[in-house]
This record gives sequence, C-alpha cells and structure tokens, in this order.
Amino acid sequence: MREEGRGGRRRTPRDELAEATAHGDVYLRRLVRAQLALSISALVAFIGLLGALPLLLILVPHLASVSIVHIPLPLLLVAVPLFPLFVAIGWTYQRRADALDEAFRELVGRP
Amino acid sequence: MIAIFAVAAVTVGTLGLGTWTVRLARTTSDLFVASRAVSPWWNAAAISGEYLSAASFLGIAGLVMKLGAVALWLPVGFTAGYLTLLLFVAAPLRRYGSYTISDFAEARLGSPRMRLLAAGIVLGITGFYLVPQLKGAGITLQQVTGAPYWLGVVVVGGIVSLNVALGGMRGITYVQAFQFWLKTFAIALPACLLLIYLGGLPSQNTLFGDGVPRAPADGLSVHLDHSERVVFPAASSYTAGGNPHLARAGQRVTLPPGEVHLSANAAVPLAQDANTDPGSLWSRPVESGGSNGPLFVYSLLIATVLGTMGLPHILVRFYTSPDGSTARRTTVRVLGLLWLFYLFPVVYSLLGRALAPGLYVTGQTDSVVLRVPELAWPGEPGQLLGALVAAGAFAAFLSTASGLLVSISGTLSYDLWGRVRRARGAEDRRRRFRASAAVGMVLPVVVALGAAGLDIGVLVGWAFAIAASTFCPMFLLGIWWRGLTAPGAAAGMTVGALVATGAIFTGLAVDPGPGALASLLTQPAVVSVPLAFATMIAVSLATRARRPDADVQQLALHAPEGLGLAQLERATVPAAEREGPEHPVRT
Repeated sequence: MREEGRGGRRRTPRDELAEATAHGDVYLRRLVRAQLALSISALVAFIGLLGALPLLLILVPHLASVSIVHIPLPLLLVAVPLFPLFVAIGWTYQRRADALDEAFRELVGRP
Repeated sequence: MIAIFAVAAVTVGTLGLGTWTVRLARTTSDLFVASRAVSPWWNAAAISGEYLSAASFLGIAGLVMKLGAVALWLPVGFTAGYLTLLLFVAAPLRRYGSYTISDFAEARLGSPRMRLLAAGIVLGITGFYLVPQLKGAGITLQQVTGAPYWLGVVVVGGIVSLNVALGGMRGITYVQAFQFWLKTFAIALPACLLLIYLGGLPSQNTLFGDGVPRAPADGLSVHLDHSERVVFPAASSYTAGGNPHLARAGQRVTLPPGEVHLSANAAVPLAQDANTDPGSLWSRPVESGGSNGPLFVYSLLIATVLGTMGLPHILVRFYTSPDGSTARRTTVRVLGLLWLFYLFPVVYSLLGRALAPGLYVTGQTDSVVLRVPELAWPGEPGQLLGALVAAGAFAAFLSTASGLLVSISGTLSYDLWGRVRRARGAEDRRRRFRASAAVGMVLPVVVALGAAGLDIGVLVGWAFAIAASTFCPMFLLGIWWRGLTAPGAAAGMTVGALVATGAIFTGLAVDPGPGALASLLTQPAVVSVPLAFATMIAVSLATRARRPDADVQQLALHAPEGLGLAQLERATVPAAEREGPEHPVRT
C-alpha cells in the first residue's frame, strides 16, 4: 500500500517527518476531528434506534396483539430487524470514513 | 452413535486443518498477527468464528427458553458491540500496528509498567473465558457420547494447544473461518428442516398464548440426579418416589432424586429462576417493570456492548488486517455474519419450550439446542440433525478456545517472558510462543477439571464486566483523547476492575433477589465503566506533565496508510516485526 514519494523522487524520513509536523499536523487534527464527528453521529443514530426499541415496546403495549406468521410482533422486532440496521449503519460509516481518509491523502500528498 | 462420529469428524478436521497450516506459520509475525495479511472475508469469518462461543451456540437458546424473550437482547448487544468497535476502534487500532494489547498500552502511554498491568488483565479475562469453554466441552461430550467429563476437557485443551502452537495466529485464522461456517450450517440446517417437518411452530398457545409448558400426550418422565427445587406455574399432579402428589398453582416443591412422572397435559414444574409466566408474557422482550423491566434490558445492552469492546482476544484480531481501511471493511462483514448466525438460536428456544418441557424440570435448558432435534423428529433424521448440532457445538468450543489461547500465548511469551529475559532473535521468539501455547493451557484445564460440579457461568459475566471496565475506556480514550497519561489509565483500569469484581462477588454473596439491585450487581458495567472513565480523565488531568508526545501518537493512530510516512509509522511497530530478513517485505 505504501507509495514512494510522488514524482519518483524518493524522500528521506526526515523530509516526511518535517512535513508531517509542520503543516501535516494541522491537517491531521482536522482529520481526527472529522473522523470522530462521523463516528459520533453514527453512534447517536444507532443508540437512538436501539435505545428507542425497548421504550417503544413498553409504551405501545398494543404491539403485542399484532402477530406476523403467528409470531408476536415485539419478539420479531427484537430478533430480526436490528441486525440489518447495524449492517446498514456500519456500511455507510465505513464508506464515509474511507472517503475522509482519501481526502486527507490527497491533501497531504499534494505536490 | 452418529453423534460420536460427527464430533470426532470435527475434531479430526480441526486438527488436520491446524497441522496443514503449519507450513504457513514461518515467521514471528505469522504466529502473532498472521503477518497482517488476512483478507476481509477470511478475517470476518475468523472473528465471528472466534466470537460465537458455546455461550452463543448453546447458551442464548437456553437462556431464552429459561428466562423468556428478554434474553433476545443478548445477541443484539453482542452484535452492537462490534458496531461500536467499528466506529471507534477498528482502524486506529490496526494503524497503530502493535503485536498484543499490552504492546499498545506500553507504546501509547510510554510506560513499561502499563504493559505489565495490561498483560495481567488480559490473562485474567482470557482465563475466565477459557475455563467455561473447556467445561462446556466436557459436559457436551458427556451428554452426547457418555464419555467421562474429563475426557472432553482434556481433548479440547490438547487439540487447541497443539493447533495454536503449530499454526499460531495464521493457522488459527483458517481454522476459525472454517469453524464459523460449520457452526452456522450446524445451527441453521436443523432449525429450517425441523420447522418444515413440524409445519411451523407447535403448541403456539404455550409459546405466545396463555399456556404454560405441559407434558406431552404420552406423559413425561424425568430422571433427577439430585433433589431439585421447582415451582408449579399451574395446578398439576405428579408422581415422585412412587407416590402421587397434587400441586397448586405457584406452589414450590423440592422434588427428590429419582424418577418424576407427569401424566399427559399436566403442567410441568420449572426449576428455580426460570420464568413461570404464561406464553404471552414469556414471549415479551421487555416488560414495564420487575426483573424483565427496562432497567434490566438497558443495563444488559450496555454491559454486552461495552464488554465486547474490551475483550482482548477480539481486539487482537484487528491487528491481522493489512491496513486500517481493511479493518473497517472486515468489521462490517462481521456484522453481517453475526446477523446470519443469530437468526437461528431463537428457533431452538421456541421449539424447546413447546417440545422439551423436561428440561425445565431438571433446569438443563442450556442443552436445548442439543436435545430438540431428536425430540422434534423421532428416529434417524432427528439423530442425524442432533449429531450435526453436537458437531457445531464442539466447533464452537474449539474455535473460541483457540482464539483465547492465541491471546494468552502472545501475552505470556511476548509481554511477560520477554520482560524477564529478552528473546535471542526471531527463532527464540517463535519457540517461546509455542512453549507458551502449551503452558498457557495447563492451568485452565486444571481449573475446568476441578469445576465439574460448580456453576461457573458467572465467570464469563465477570470477564465481560472487567473487559468493559478496563480496556474499553483505555482504548477509547487512548485513541481519541490526546491527554491520556499512564497514571490516569492505570488508575482508571484498577478502579474499574475492582468495582466490577466487587459488585459481582457482592451479588454472589448476598443474593439480592430480583429487581434493580440485582441487575446492577450482576451487570456492574453501568456503574463501573463511567467510574473508570471518570478516574482516567481526572488522574490524567492531574498528571498532565506526563503526557506522551501526542502528535506522533495521533499520526500513528489516525494517519491513513499510503502517505509515504513508512518510517514514521514504523516508530511504533514492535521490535519483533522489524526483524529484517525473516519478515516478508510489506507492500
């Protein structure tokens, strides 16, 4: 995965370090903040959905009288739909996080 | 008889696969982190294979049968734990490029003592987790084949030890990936075939209506090895010790050892702490109060999510991905694979409540997955399916135990042995890993042999609580907060571990009965984790002067690969991996 210095010029580690601590550091802080914001927003979405389900089941007791293929709806709601939801949140997050990394790579790798 | 062959086939297959992978494990990096070259699908199957222990394969179905649908939040919490790992830990942990969890602790916080503390906690958690796996293997082999208890323990211990010593992390990855698919097949196929054979769920009144478990049309005979305290959920009659008895609804009875007989349709007595509610309440995932109330559900979710985030044998697997982005993609696939697996345990608990009421009498609901196929489909088809689930259960013991032993061996050989006396080169380091794989299994096997008659289910809960209260805050703050210091992390982990341990033992000692206090004592994460976080932050702020160089650390944790910063990233790569010629060229 690792590339040599761009334009075929091989840079010494010292160059890389200098670049990283001079302006690279500002970009890195920005990247970390963006990644953290992305993770937290995904976390809020997921906690909101997961945390709301027990409350929904308590506050709407009427759900227990609904059955799908003879199985009560509350049981189904816990056993099945949360998992695909997790996958969907995870997949969306992964694509966005990789995109943030890619943007950072472009920024720092600028000639 | 068929079951013996099925279990033997899994065992031989595992051993064969393990031996075959020996030639793959040539370098130190192979043994510790599979040379960081495991592709997302392989790694996802291996992670899931390692994670789906007996607790998932047998335990969830048994708990749902015993406690009711409230136990369905367990697999939800387990899977949600991986989602939080994905969001906050997967990519930075991989990018940091350590060898073991303790390695991370020392390098990130710049303190050799942190390595010792972390190593001690890793050994504690993995040990508590390993003993119940071995015990489960002994009991399963005993139930399925009639072999003595110690045989299962020794066989699983020996095979796992041999496989880890030979193949290390690299070999175990393939074994575990194979075992994931075996387990999923072994739990899915019987569930589907039984539902087709039965034409849907039987006795729906018992499951979802106002019915309680009742003896089948030809009566029910149960053999009790020792006296059993039971509750009758409805008025019933039974024969025990040769004498007929009547029981009122709600009556508590101590059944004597020997044969207990219930005539057709008599309400079945339930062993202590089973849910005695009729089906309509039993199948409700949360109630507005009481022991299945929202407080219990939320504390269970928090405990399982945070515990999963701190399990060392899970965290160490992220090191085997080629880079941070692959670690993320791996974890998304894990979510999908866990989804696939967790669709099925609930089928067994529903069938078990309807068709295996005898398990309620003996309290052995944990074996419902093993028993249901033969009860639901008498004759050879049922026996074949029963053999298949037995094989799957054995695969579960083997794969989880392997993953735990990889963590133990890495910690023993690299973090502890390496400190006592530095390894003399790569050859010595590999020899030490292999020796540790043999030695590290001895104590857990001895403890498991001694724990034959003890209820050690509490050990896994303890491991989860300690993981949640120590490594979970250490990793979250270590990765995302520049200000964490070694004294802060050490203080927080100590406080978390002590509070969690104290709560669990208080719960065991005083038996608080059902209610809010009980959920707090058995799942102390709700209290101990915030305390650990608060201590870490407070002590870190007080020892601000000892902050490690945050810029270098942040770069190592968060800078994406491919920047040409190879030398800089390698500043944190452990010495063992910079061995020169023996290490394959990293591309």
